[in-house]
Amino acid sequence: MENVSIIGSGVAGLCVARALLDRGVKLRLFERGEGIGSHACSWWAGGMLAPYCESESAEEPVFRLGKESAEWWDKHTGEVHRNGTLVVSLERDHADLRRFKRRTENSIDVGPDEIARLEPDLGDRFTKGLYFENEAHLSPRAALASLREKLILDGVDFIHEEVDPRVIAVDGLTVDCRGFAAKDALPDLRGVKGEMVILSSPDIELSRPVRLLHPRIPLYVVPRGDGVFMLGATMLESSTRSRISARSLLELLSAAYALNPAFGEAEILEIGVDSRPTFPDNLPRIQRDGNLIHVNGLYRHGFLLAPAMARMVAELIFDNSTPEMMHEHFN
Amino acid sequence: MREFYGTKLSNALMLGTAQYPSPAILADAFKRSGAGVATVSLRRESGADKEGQDFWALIRKLGVHVLPNTAGCHTVKEAVTTAQMAREVFGTAWIKLEVIGEEDTLHPDTFALVEAARILSEDGFQVFPYTTDDLVVAERLLRAGCEVLMPWGSPIGSGQGLNNVFGLRAMRAHFPDTPLVVDAGLGLPSQAAQVMELGFDAVLLNTAVAKAGDPAAMAEAFSLAVNAGQLAATADPMEPRDMAAPSTPVIGKAFLS
Amino acid sequence: MNILINGEPTTTSAETLTMLLEQNGFANTTIATAVNSTFVPQGQRETYSLKEGDQIEVLAPMQGG
Repeated sequence: MENVSIIGSGVAGLCVARALLDRGVKLRLFERGEGIGSHACSWWAGGMLAPYCESESAEEPVFRLGKESAEWWDKHTGEVHRNGTLVVSLERDHADLRRFKRRTENSIDVGPDEIARLEPDLGDRFTKGLYFENEAHLSPRAALASLREKLILDGVDFIHEEVDPRVIAVDGLTVDCRGFAAKDALPDLRGVKGEMVILSSPDIELSRPVRLLHPRIPLYVVPRGDGVFMLGATMLESSTRSRISARSLLELLSAAYALNPAFGEAEILEIGVDSRPTFPDNLPRIQRDGNLIHVNGLYRHGFLLAPAMARMVAELIFDNSTPEMMHEHFN
Repeated sequence: MREFYGTKLSNALMLGTAQYPSPAILADAFKRSGAGVATVSLRRESGADKEGQDFWALIRKLGVHVLPNTAGCHTVKEAVTTAQMAREVFGTAWIKLEVIGEEDTLHPDTFALVEAARILSEDGFQVFPYTTDDLVVAERLLRAGCEVLMPWGSPIGSGQGLNNVFGLRAMRAHFPDTPLVVDAGLGLPSQAAQVMELGFDAVLLNTAVAKAGDPAAMAEAFSLAVNAGQLAATADPMEPRDMAAPSTPVIGKAFLS
Repeated sequence: MNILINGEPTTTSAETLTMLLEQNGFANTTIATAVNSTFVPQGQRETYSLKEGDQIEVLAPMQGG
């Protein structure tokens, strides 16, 4: 078959590259930053593969397509932890737990004993929670690196250059996975800003992501191993990809402290901020304009949905099918 | 329904625009409910961000009346300046005047509210003051130039419903010719229906719809409730009584013993 | 000169508020301005001369309840 160009080496671009490579094309991938790094929105991801928990606020396709992710990441990086998700709330927010349960499926009610068994380091601070067994998590930066390395080994040409997708598309099929940088081509995109913190607290151990429900800012802590934890994330309607605010930091760190006061002594390793590319209905889209295919709008579901999106791009190109996330009404 | 500064509304439901899960759901909530007024606010915008412009485009497409608010203002000066900026941005003289006096309950600072209302009314604004059920404050607001009052149901976002039905009833009785809108604290459509049954002219809510599991359905439910309450109010409801009064006639019933 | 836009310190060569807005990407946007907590209507931006230390607020529509 012909050569295909991919633009963007974030989670979308790398997953699309893998899916297309597995169908047997020659690929080249353009990235404007060198390698994987803080310039990519995916760099700041939580790494939760949590279709059940996300279905509390996300539309149905996110839930259904997200269920493909754990197996895909396991198959292509081998670094997926399947320990589920624990959802807790402070005593005064137990109504939020009940609502969370109503809006999701497959959760088990857990009391203080089970919580202590699941996460001893949460102590006896939480008397009620929900356990979602069928969820997983990974370390996003390691997963991206692993994916990228295998792609290079398998013969994908990585070109460090900022290019215009329309120019590249003149020469052949091109998949634009530029994230928010594609706003020029996709005017419907908006940014949802997220601020996060990475902490080091070797005295604390968590086996799985813990979500703390809260009326204003629901937060999660994801263990990265070796006493490192990712704490996230705010959701602000803003396309600003920098500037973390004091209030956001305060809310994030307060949540960590509420989970375990030992987090108060944690070392702050990193403070991160970026803006999630999002469409008006918060669902991702595949849009086609001749040779140029745009994949975008993964919002807070990058790692969760990129595998399914990549699969759909492959089906569009090779099987001539119209993928579910295909969005008509495009100039 | 009474007119609001000369504007007739076909739907007595006013909706806020904050905290919806997505812009698409916001638009859907307005469409399904037929709400004719959207409250909006102002925020700092950077030159690179165009969020405000995108949001404004979305609201204009809804084709509703816009009611800007002075949320977050604590002083007369802040509220007045914010109102002036809102009038220029949104192109309307309507302003929902909020001057907050206490952080936990978001209780209005009624003293500053009356002063700000006076300044704005003199400057040609059409003020919708967010106030308590205090009748004296209400009187002062009308004297200051307001032609509409917006008493609270209960604290903003609390979903408690109507905390003081007696207060609201008194307000309706005291100001029979003033358009009255209950704003804040509503959680369920039945509460909105009750507001309309009390003879109020409209209902404004945000959290109850935006934070529902299905905001568009909830918006429609509120709209139906508001219509039900409004229709009931015009149908001259029966008076409650202490004694039973059987609805089935008893004359002519056979004496079986 | 040094001024603040929405709380951020910045330097500018602009002399009027209109020029400042144009330089910062606000041309053709729906906004309102205040300088040192006083509203500056659109019609007066052209003639408003900026001074050292001026605090400019640029506000745009946003969600509200």
